[in-house]
Amino acid sequence: MSQTARLAALRDRIRQIEQPARHGVLPFAVAAIDSVLPGGGLALGAVHEILGTGGDEEDGAAAAGFAAGILARLCPHPPAAGAAGPPSPAVRERVKTDGAPITFSRTAGEGARGRSPRAGEGLVLWCLKRPDLYGPGLMAHGFDPARLVLVSAPRDEEILWAMEEGLRLPGLAAVVGEVGRLPMVASRRLQLAAERSGVTALVLRRWRNGEEAMAERERPSAALTRWRVASLPSRDELKLRDDPRLRHSIGRPRWRVELLRCRGGVPAQWVVESGDVEVADATGHVCLSAALADRPAAAPNQKPGRREAGGLDAEPWRRRAG
Amino acid sequence: MVAEGGRRVLAAINPAAAAAGLAPGMPLADALSFLPGLATVPADPAADSMALTRLAEWCGRYSPWTAPDETDGVKIEITGSAHLWGGEAALAADLARRLARQNIAHRIAIASTLGAAWALARYAAVDNQPALPAPQDERAALAPLPVEALRLDPETVQGLRRVGLRRIGELYPMPRDALARRFGVNGLNGVAHRLDQAFGDLPEPLSPLGETPSRRVRLSFAEPIADPADLTRAIARLVEDLTARLAREGMGARRLDLGFHRIDGRVEHIRIGTARPSRDPRHLAGLFTAKLDTVDPGLGIEDMILAVFAVERLPPEQAELAGSNPKTAAHDMASLLDRLGNRFGLDAISRIEPRQSHIPERASVNVSVERQTGTTSTPSPPPGAERVGVRWGIPECSPTSPPHPPIAGAMGPSLSSLRGGEGFSRGSVSKPPRPVRLFRPPEPVEASWLVPDNPPVQFTWRRRLHRVVRADGPERIAEEWWTEEGSREADAIRDYYRVEDSEGRRFWLFRAGLAQSEPPPRWFVHGLFA
Repeated sequence: MSQTARLAALRDRIRQIEQPARHGVLPFAVAAIDSVLPGGGLALGAVHEILGTGGDEEDGAAAAGFAAGILARLCPHPPAAGAAGPPSPAVRERVKTDGAPITFSRTAGEGARGRSPRAGEGLVLWCLKRPDLYGPGLMAHGFDPARLVLVSAPRDEEILWAMEEGLRLPGLAAVVGEVGRLPMVASRRLQLAAERSGVTALVLRRWRNGEEAMAERERPSAALTRWRVASLPSRDELKLRDDPRLRHSIGRPRWRVELLRCRGGVPAQWVVESGDVEVADATGHVCLSAALADRPAAAPNQKPGRREAGGLDAEPWRRRAG
Repeated sequence: MVAEGGRRVLAAINPAAAAAGLAPGMPLADALSFLPGLATVPADPAADSMALTRLAEWCGRYSPWTAPDETDGVKIEITGSAHLWGGEAALAADLARRLARQNIAHRIAIASTLGAAWALARYAAVDNQPALPAPQDERAALAPLPVEALRLDPETVQGLRRVGLRRIGELYPMPRDALARRFGVNGLNGVAHRLDQAFGDLPEPLSPLGETPSRRVRLSFAEPIADPADLTRAIARLVEDLTARLAREGMGARRLDLGFHRIDGRVEHIRIGTARPSRDPRHLAGLFTAKLDTVDPGLGIEDMILAVFAVERLPPEQAELAGSNPKTAAHDMASLLDRLGNRFGLDAISRIEPRQSHIPERASVNVSVERQTGTTSTPSPPPGAERVGVRWGIPECSPTSPPHPPIAGAMGPSLSSLRGGEGFSRGSVSKPPRPVRLFRPPEPVEASWLVPDNPPVQFTWRRRLHRVVRADGPERIAEEWWTEEGSREADAIRDYYRVEDSEGRRFWLFRAGLAQSEPPPRWFVHGLFA
């Protein structure tokens, strides 16, 4: 057995033990991102953390937009066990091999083909301190605010309690919580509850001030992944450059998305550009910035590498060390 | 002792004072001449009335229908509940024993009408000797009592005494219409009316203290209990009794109250509400036990009464399916909302509802699940309003257009619309982007600008300086003058800009007031884009 094959086998075994994708995954439908994630997408029935950067660490605007894009394609899980009608092939396959680490993608397209419940259905419990989410803005990221149930609670512990209560309910599409502090014990409890019910949890970290951010930013948690999302300045669009009136107008939203931690995966970062936030993004999809190679937004400790990935002119910059 | 018309008079006295010849209503100066060592305290009618209400509430252990009676009594409707105590005499004895333990002097009477019971309790019963005439003897029992016992006002009593009628029995042979003519002038206090009430010829409803529950389950303990584990077990039993009954009736509970009757006569309550009718014993018991730490058991609890105030029809199939069957998803969701609502209050749980409004903060509102009706909406503009809207830069917006999509297309003279379709590739109406987070209320910023009509070049928000690199706008949004809310606000016109700072963060700023106006316009940040 060659060394690579042995490594691959080992990796598979570890994956089996950890079972990060026991409930399936939600692919981003961006090959560059999905290829880095174990199982080929965001693990369902697990806890994921989303952080902001700079001033947005307190306000959580980019994190909320990123989360809305994910929520737009999540649905209750397990999908309609025991519902009327024969299960779809994907469901049957999952049932047959239950326990084995099989993965199948639950994309928006599959949902549209009559699976029940469809992707982008089901209620989402969003627990936060002050309900400052804005319906039309969420809609623009593809997430229908009618699916939201907001719970306001003044303290982190109460928000975590509410999240855990929500995660016990298999009928929910997802549970979102905005907290400053996420103690290890609390995150492990959330992770266990999510694994049991198959409901996906997103923890948006929102810190009150710089000190809290400093103390909490690097603290480990039991979440499967930790993402950091930062808004990037607009690109100068060529066709607009000539028009003096439009030179300073705002382009499409662009984010730098960093995968800071990923159990069973490697940290990476990408620049994504929301395809068409106002309308087309009603699917919640993001696409990698086409001009990525021209304008790398990589941090100094990262080395750009280039490879054709899924027809997209993009490739994640992996961190050199850890 | 109470001040009355500049004098101080006795309001209430104890037995020793009564033995010395004092009486309520006697001026203090007279009383002191009888009893120089008389100890007095100022009367506190409010506290008395509260204590009486508390006592009436405590009497809830005998019946759901209890109420304080004037300033010195408690009425209890025991029809249908006396047999639970082994008869009226046993009930009266139990009540007497428990009142005595609380050091409450009392006189008890049980009769078939409120009027008769009132008279007997005040004029026939003596301490430790309740008046319990058999129904057929009530007429005879009332006869020797003074006419005051009929709950008459003092003038009527005076009138009766003037014609020599002192006892109730003396009224029996009187012709009723003569009585009514002569002493019936003051309506409800009329002698004939009161007589009829005393003998049950006229109904007299008892208005109970607070709301009357539709169903009640009671659990009494031989020994008072205080341990949380015991209380939890008791809750489980009560809830099981209740849900069994609800299941027979095909009902589910919406609003419940669990009363803990302490041995010192206080009653502690846990009140819960459910989002959907429920008779799931585990769910309901869980809601109560979650709040058990708010109950102070004091020296012990002798009774627990579980009362249901609101029920709704709940077909069996909806209640009995359990587990993760998707059919029960709504049911599970309801029980989750109950758990959350009973911890944070139903106010803390809300849904985002779209509204037909140009004003950003009114286009999407958080509606508490408690108040949610689904069809509410802000008033539509009156006919003709659209034209005004156009003048202020708001496009036509038909008042009958559907509420969804939530954003009323309000596109001002914005540069965004000129971007060659970029960003608005689909959909017929271009909408300027809306932020994901909206501040309510908008937060003021210190902005500096070069040209009044332009977006600011930089602004300070939360003590941080942001340099504006790019901007889109303005989008002008005028106040909805046709709503009551709208007409009150001072800054009727807002020009919204989407600005991007040097870091790439995008803000939704607006200028309140016109650019060249006096006082100078103020700037606010209203939201953040992702």
